[in-house]
Amino acid sequence: MEALSALISGFAVAATPGNLLWCLLGVTLGTFVGVLPGVGPALTVAMLLPLTTKLDPTGALIMFAGIYYGAMFGGSTTTILLNTPGESASIVTALEGNKMAKAGRAGPALATCAIGSFVAGTIATVALTLIAPLVVDLALKFGPAEYFALMVFAFITVSAVLGASTVRGLTSLFLGLLLGVVGIDSQTGQPRFAFGVPELLDGIDVVVLAVGLFAVGEALYVAAYQSRLTGSLEKLSGSIWMSIEDWKRSWPAWLRATAIGFPFGTIPAGGSEIPTFLSYATEKKLTEHPEEFGRGAIEGVAGPEAANNASATGVLVPLLTLGIPTSATAAILLGAFQNYGLQPGPLLFQAQTELVWGLIASLYIGNVILLVLNLPLIGLWVKVLAIPRDLLYAGILVFATLGAYSLHQSWVDLLTLYIFGLLGFGMRRWDIPVGPAVIGLILGPLAETQFRRALAISQGDASVFFTQPIAATFLAITAALIVVPFIVRHWGRLRRRPA
Amino acid sequence: MRRSPAEIALSLGVLALGVGVGAVTTTLSSEGVYAGIGPNFFPAVTAAGLVVVGAWLLYEALSGGWRSGAPDDPRSRGEHAFQAGAFGWITAGLLAQMALIDLAGFVIAGAALFVGVTRGFGSRRLARDIAAGLVLALAVFLFFTKFLNVGLPAGWLAPILGGAGI
Repeated sequence: MEALSALISGFAVAATPGNLLWCLLGVTLGTFVGVLPGVGPALTVAMLLPLTTKLDPTGALIMFAGIYYGAMFGGSTTTILLNTPGESASIVTALEGNKMAKAGRAGPALATCAIGSFVAGTIATVALTLIAPLVVDLALKFGPAEYFALMVFAFITVSAVLGASTVRGLTSLFLGLLLGVVGIDSQTGQPRFAFGVPELLDGIDVVVLAVGLFAVGEALYVAAYQSRLTGSLEKLSGSIWMSIEDWKRSWPAWLRATAIGFPFGTIPAGGSEIPTFLSYATEKKLTEHPEEFGRGAIEGVAGPEAANNASATGVLVPLLTLGIPTSATAAILLGAFQNYGLQPGPLLFQAQTELVWGLIASLYIGNVILLVLNLPLIGLWVKVLAIPRDLLYAGILVFATLGAYSLHQSWVDLLTLYIFGLLGFGMRRWDIPVGPAVIGLILGPLAETQFRRALAISQGDASVFFTQPIAATFLAITAALIVVPFIVRHWGRLRRRPA
Repeated sequence: MRRSPAEIALSLGVLALGVGVGAVTTTLSSEGVYAGIGPNFFPAVTAAGLVVVGAWLLYEALSGGWRSGAPDDPRSRGEHAFQAGAFGWITAGLLAQMALIDLAGFVIAGAALFVGVTRGFGSRRLARDIAAGLVLALAVFLFFTKFLNVGLPAGWLAPILGGAGI
């Protein structure tokens, strides 16, 4: 068991008092910021990134693992009590969770989320521990052509296949790719699209884009279209503990959801909504209490929430082993690695064994801390929700602008941030997904490097992408993902047309 | 047939962006390190991609509107009409921060942003907002400069804050 011994050495890294403290701090801050309405996991991670600039890489990344999990859990608290899903993966939780809260059962709803997240997160982390070394072995055989094909596959699945509109997803992706080429070309040293602005030569920082889209854009949108609406905050009354009946109905849902969520997270396709919807549908079908669905069925909270957490852990598999982020949050985490000059992928497992396995070990620890911390502290998180909205958004923006300003100590980064805020406002208003832009910004330059390397090795022969079996397979699947739905739609239209 | 001027304008904007990127790309070198793939290749792909999606968006906008797009009427999205004042106050807060940060320092600029945002969200309690903004910005400033060793400008408050900032 190579993985087991590596994991044990990882625990030796993660369980040092200093690193335990960073993990605890990460979970606490992640939950606190994640609870804030309108702040999803991606923004939480982006806003807290500047905190770690002076830490050593291991401590910083362990803290980030805690933030990642804390942000996920914090978001579900908000969803249940406020019925404003902060992120698309929470939409399903809102269906039953908010109904439970309205019926005075907020406590058990939050408890099944917390315990379900722990169960799903832990099982998924075990699966990650077992699978990661296998993927690393496979990935070591990949050359630039295979990597490029895999990245194209990830680009297309996150932008064109998932989401409401293929063309709007692709629009977002190409905007992200465009932002990704700004700055000095890594291979020739030539500046591109910098227009003589020194702040642009370093390239666009993922934190500025994420904070601009998610914080500034969101604040502009909510103020312009929702600030005069009043939301209702459900009270946390009665026991927070689950009854025996609740337990009986929750645990099968947690396990089924983990089995659905983890595989969806691991394939480099992203999208945490699909597993939550699948889990909800499964529970609705299998339940012995179908009459409760739509009125606050606990399975309908337990399943999707566990699926969300399992897929969030699954996303770490392609991120750590291949260096491919498949969600906006994962893209920002990759940015955190890059800040330390680390490039996730199979080579990182070999070169930085301690760091990688310390990080994986801290995922186990983070899950335990999340459970221990959150059940007793639910009352405190509820108080966070009661912060008036004007003060809340003002505070978020002060903190968010700090992250952008501290990059170069320059107001130009604040201007860039505002421009991205306007972009985020427009994308929200016209329903253009922002995830593909963030992923495109981070993954685009990596894909370009692999592409140019592949062609350099083949001495300019582009057929390398089609003659290498693995690369060709990924490109063929990618092409099929775009072409097949198109043909099916047009075929259906032709057949419906009367002769 | 539904035709939204905003959707047509945005589609044209994406198309124009693609053309603009293409124009800038022609000024980039095509000299690569190996095998002739230069720094202009990926920007050219991006430009082509933007032109294609721009044309596609325009086609959708002209033939019944963007597919499964957000409705133009805010009420059918469960929202109220666009509040230009709210949008303007937040913008003013951000611009004030940009103008002040190098001169007056992080704390004062942050408080200006804070007040702009609270006003945008409908607050009329100016004194409370100024006080809350100053306290929050000061707390963040001290935490980052003293505890995390991240430099932030002290500006006009340098005599009081001493050597805390840069």
